[in-house]
Amino acid sequence: MIEFNLNGKMVETDVPDDTPLLWVIRDEFGLKGTKFGCGIAMCGACTVHLEGAAIRSCSMPIAMAKGKQVNTIEGFDGKHPLQEAWIEEQVPQCGYCQSGQIMQAATLLEKNSSPSDEDISAHMSANICRCMAYPRIKKAIKSAATKSKSAVNIYDPATSEES
Amino acid sequence: MNLLNNFSKKKTDDSLQLSRRKFLIGAANSALIMAFAPLTMSMTTSATEAIKQNAFSPSIWFEINTLGEITVHVARCEMGQHVGTALAQIVAEELGANWDDIRVVHASSDPKWGFVMTGGSWSVFQMYKPLSQAGAAGRLTLIDAGAKILGVSPDSCEVRDSKVTSGNKSVTFAEIISKGKFDRTFTPEEMATLPIKSPDKRHTIGFDRLALDVPPKTNGKAVYGIDVELEGMVYARPIIPPTRYGSKVLRVNDSKAKTIKGYLGYEILQDQSNWIEGWVSVIADSYHSAIKAADAIKVSYQPGDTTNISEQDIIDEGHKLVNSKNAGVLFVNDGDTDKAFDSAANTLSATYVTHTAMHFQMEPLNALAELKDGIWHIHCGNQSHSLTLPAVAKALGVTDDEVIIHQYYLGGGFGRRAYGDYAIPAALTAKQYGKPVKLIFTRPDDAKFDQARSASVQKVSAAIDDNNELFGYEHNISAGWPTLSMAPGFMPKGIDDKGNFDPFSTSGSDHWYSIANNRVRTINNPLAQKTFTPGWLRSVGPGWISFGAESFIDEVAHELNKDPVEMRLAMLDGKGKNKGHHPQSVHGAKRLKSVLEQCKKSANWGKKLPKNEGIGFATSFGQEREMPTWIACAAHVAVNPSSGEITVKKIFMTLDCGTVVHPDSALAQIEGSILWGVSLALYEGTEVDKGNYAATNFHNYTPLRMNDMPEMEINFVESTEFPVGLGEPGVIAVAPAIANAIFNATGIRLRELPIKPEHIRQQSKNA
Ligand code: FES
Ligand code: FES
Repeated sequence: MIEFNLNGKMVETDVPDDTPLLWVIRDEFGLKGTKFGCGIAMCGACTVHLEGAAIRSCSMPIAMAKGKQVNTIEGFDGKHPLQEAWIEEQVPQCGYCQSGQIMQAATLLEKNSSPSDEDISAHMSANICRCMAYPRIKKAIKSAATKSKSAVNIYDPATSEES
Repeated sequence: MNLLNNFSKKKTDDSLQLSRRKFLIGAANSALIMAFAPLTMSMTTSATEAIKQNAFSPSIWFEINTLGEITVHVARCEMGQHVGTALAQIVAEELGANWDDIRVVHASSDPKWGFVMTGGSWSVFQMYKPLSQAGAAGRLTLIDAGAKILGVSPDSCEVRDSKVTSGNKSVTFAEIISKGKFDRTFTPEEMATLPIKSPDKRHTIGFDRLALDVPPKTNGKAVYGIDVELEGMVYARPIIPPTRYGSKVLRVNDSKAKTIKGYLGYEILQDQSNWIEGWVSVIADSYHSAIKAADAIKVSYQPGDTTNISEQDIIDEGHKLVNSKNAGVLFVNDGDTDKAFDSAANTLSATYVTHTAMHFQMEPLNALAELKDGIWHIHCGNQSHSLTLPAVAKALGVTDDEVIIHQYYLGGGFGRRAYGDYAIPAALTAKQYGKPVKLIFTRPDDAKFDQARSASVQKVSAAIDDNNELFGYEHNISAGWPTLSMAPGFMPKGIDDKGNFDPFSTSGSDHWYSIANNRVRTINNPLAQKTFTPGWLRSVGPGWISFGAESFIDEVAHELNKDPVEMRLAMLDGKGKNKGHHPQSVHGAKRLKSVLEQCKKSANWGKKLPKNEGIGFATSFGQEREMPTWIACAAHVAVNPSSGEITVKKIFMTLDCGTVVHPDSALAQIEGSILWGVSLALYEGTEVDKGNYAATNFHNYTPLRMNDMPEMEINFVESTEFPVGLGEPGVIAVAPAIANAIFNATGIRLRELPIKPEHIRQQSKNA
C-alpha cells in the first residue's frame, strides 16, 4: 500500500511498486487531465508536480511518490493565471499537450517571475507540442508573468486549501 | 479535377449536396429545430413530423431552446483547428445570434450517416454556402414569428443579438420559441434565393471569437479518446508483427507473462478483412500490466515478404519509375511536351527525393470497443466515420448498421486518424475476449503502425527555347499512394485512361504557372505500397511535390540567369487555364502573383545580407487547384558551411484564402503549419529499415521544439472572396523556400528532404 498526497488529499493505492505514477493518477484516481505521449520522458505530456518540481509521471514509479505531494492540472482548478492566459492567447490547438505545458510553465514562473524569451525556450523545450502552438505558449507565459508576479504562491492547492 | 467532388460523389448524404436539399424548421421537445432533409424524405411529410422522427440529415443541424440557447450540432471532428467555432460562426452570422448563446456539439456516427470526413482542409469550404443559407432560413422564420408577437409587419424587423427588433419594440429568440408554432419547409430553390448578408454587414464572420473548445483544453477537462472508460472494461496492448502485411503467428509463449500481476491472457486476432494479419492482443486489468505482459510474451511468426525492404530499395525503385517512359498515368498534358523537348535549345532536369515522414500525433492511437445489445460501440477520436466505420464492420464480419462510432477530441489527427484502422484490433480483442476492451498503443506500437508519408522520387525537366524562355516542362512523380490502400474507390482516372491515380499523391504538380507545353505523370511505387500503409500526412501530396516543383523553378531561373521571383511573376499571367473561375478560384493566378509581390516586399528581396545568409522563395496554391489557397513564402536562413548547421531565422508568408471566417484560429493554423513546414524540412524524417520504420519514439523522431522556432511574419490578404482551406496549406511552400534560401546563401543545391547538416558538409567539401 502506497500513500501519497494528490492535489491536497491523502490517497492510497495497492498497485505494483513499479507502476508509473501516470497510470495511477489517470486510471486509479480518474484524473485524466495528465496525458500519455511517449512513456520515456521525452515529450512532457505527462508532466505533474512532485514536491513542487515538474516531473514526467510516465517515468516515475509510484513507489517514489510515497509520502510525497503530487499536484496535477486538476489541482489548479482553472484558477492559475497561466490557465487564464492560455485562454486569452487561445493557445491550445488539439490541446493534448497543454496540461503538461501548463504544469511545466508553472515551475518556470515559480523561480523566475519575468522570464525572457530565452528563459522560456530553454525551460519549455522539454515539452513537445505536435500542433506547434509554440508562439502562443510563449506569449501566454509572458502575459501571465507580467500580470501576476506572485502567480505561484497562490496556486499550490495544498497550501491554498490549508490557508 | 476536383478531389472533393470525387470523394463526395460516392455517397448521396453528403454535406456538399446540402445545397440540393430541403431545409426543415419545426418544433420538438419545446425547442426549435432547423435541419436539412435527407434526399429520401417524402413530399408529404411535414417538417415537424420529420424532425420528431429524427428523419433529418445529421451532418449539421441546430436548435434553439426556450432559454434562447442555440446549439449547433456538427459532424466534424475537433483536432485543433477549432472547426466547430468557425462553422457555428457562419450560422450565427446569418441567424443574427448573439455569440454568447452559441454552443457546439460534436456528433457521434450513426449508421444512417453519409460521408463525413474532416481532412483536406475542406470543412469551411464545403459548408460555407449551405450553412449561410440555413442560417438565413432560420432568420426569416424567426422574423415572421417575432413580427406576429410584436404585431408589426415582418418587413419592419431586424435581427441582431438573438432578438427580433422593430422600431423600439423587440422580442428575444427565447420568447419567440416559447410562444411560436413552427412547421416550415424550404425547397432547395427557395434556399438558393435567400438573402445572405453582404460582407460589410457582418458581425460574426471575420471577427475573433474565443474558440469554444479552448477552455476545457486548459484545465484537463477535455475528453479525448484515450480518456474514455466503460464499466467492466479490460485493457489491451497489441503485439505488432514483423511485417505490415502477410505475417502469420506460429506460436505464442506467455509463460513469463503469467507471473505478471493483472495479466489476463492473449488473443491471436482474427480479422475477417485481413487488414491486420499476425496480430496478438495482450489483455490485463491495467494498462501498465498489459505493457509489461506484452513485453514478456514471445511470439514466433512466419513473416510476410517485406522483412528486408529498406528505404534505399524504395527510393531506387522510385528512380527507376520516374525514368521509365511509360510508367504511371498522365495527370496534366498541355501542348506538346515531347516536341518542345525535341526542339529545345537547351534542357535541364533534376531529381528530388523526400524520405519517409511520420505523424507522431501527440495522442497515441487507441480505441475502446464494446458489444451492447447487438451493436458495436467504438469510442475513439477519428477524422472520418465514413472511412472508419465500414472498415471496422468488415473486420468484425458485421454490417455497417451494427457499428456506432462515438466521437471525442482528437489529440492530433494530421491524417493519421482519417482511416481509423486502430479501432480494428480493439474491436477484435473485444469480440474474441468477450468484454469491453480499451486497447492503447504504446508510442513504439503507434510508430510501428503509422501510415507514414511515403518516401518519394520526382524528376522535373525543363525545355528552354532560343529566346532563353522556359517553354516545356515535365514532372514525373512516384511514391506510395495512401488512397490506393485506404479508399481505392476514390481514385480518379488519368487523362490518358491508362488507369486510376491517387490525387493526394499528385495534386500540387498542376501548378498555375503558364508554360505552353506541360506534362505531369504520376506513378505508384509498388514496393512502398506493399511494405507499409502509405498515409495522408498534413498537406499530403503538395507537401512534398512542391519541394520538387518549387526548387526546380529556382534552378531553372539560375540556369537562365533570371531572378527567381521575377521569373515566377512573369509566368503568373492568369491566362488560359490559369484564369480561374467563380467562385473559389476567381482571378486565378493573378491572386498568386499578388501575394508573391507582397511577400517579396515584406521579405525585402534584394537587400544585401551577411555572408552565408540567404532568402529563398516558393509559392503554393494549397491542397488542390479547385480550392486554391494562394500562398507566397520566403525563408531567411543562415548556414554554417563547415558544420553544415542551418538556422532558419525568419519565415515570411503572405496568404489569400478568401474570406477569413475566424481570423485568430486561421492565424493559429498558419503559425502551426509554417512550423510543421520547417520541422518536416529540417527535423523530421525517418527511414524504412528491414520492412519497418526506423523511428520508434520521440528520441529518434524529433519534431521541432520551442528552441528551434524561427521568427514568423504572416500576412493575410483582406478579401471577401469565397473562403478556402487553411488547415494544411501553410506547410507546403516552406521546405522549397528553405532549400532555395540555402542555395542563395551558399551556392549549394540540396535535393533531398529532410535537409541535413551532413548534406551541406558533403557538398562544401566537394566544391
Ligand atoms: S509521456 Fe511522459 S514525457 Fe512523454
Ligand atoms: S496543442 Fe496539439 S500537441 Fe499541443
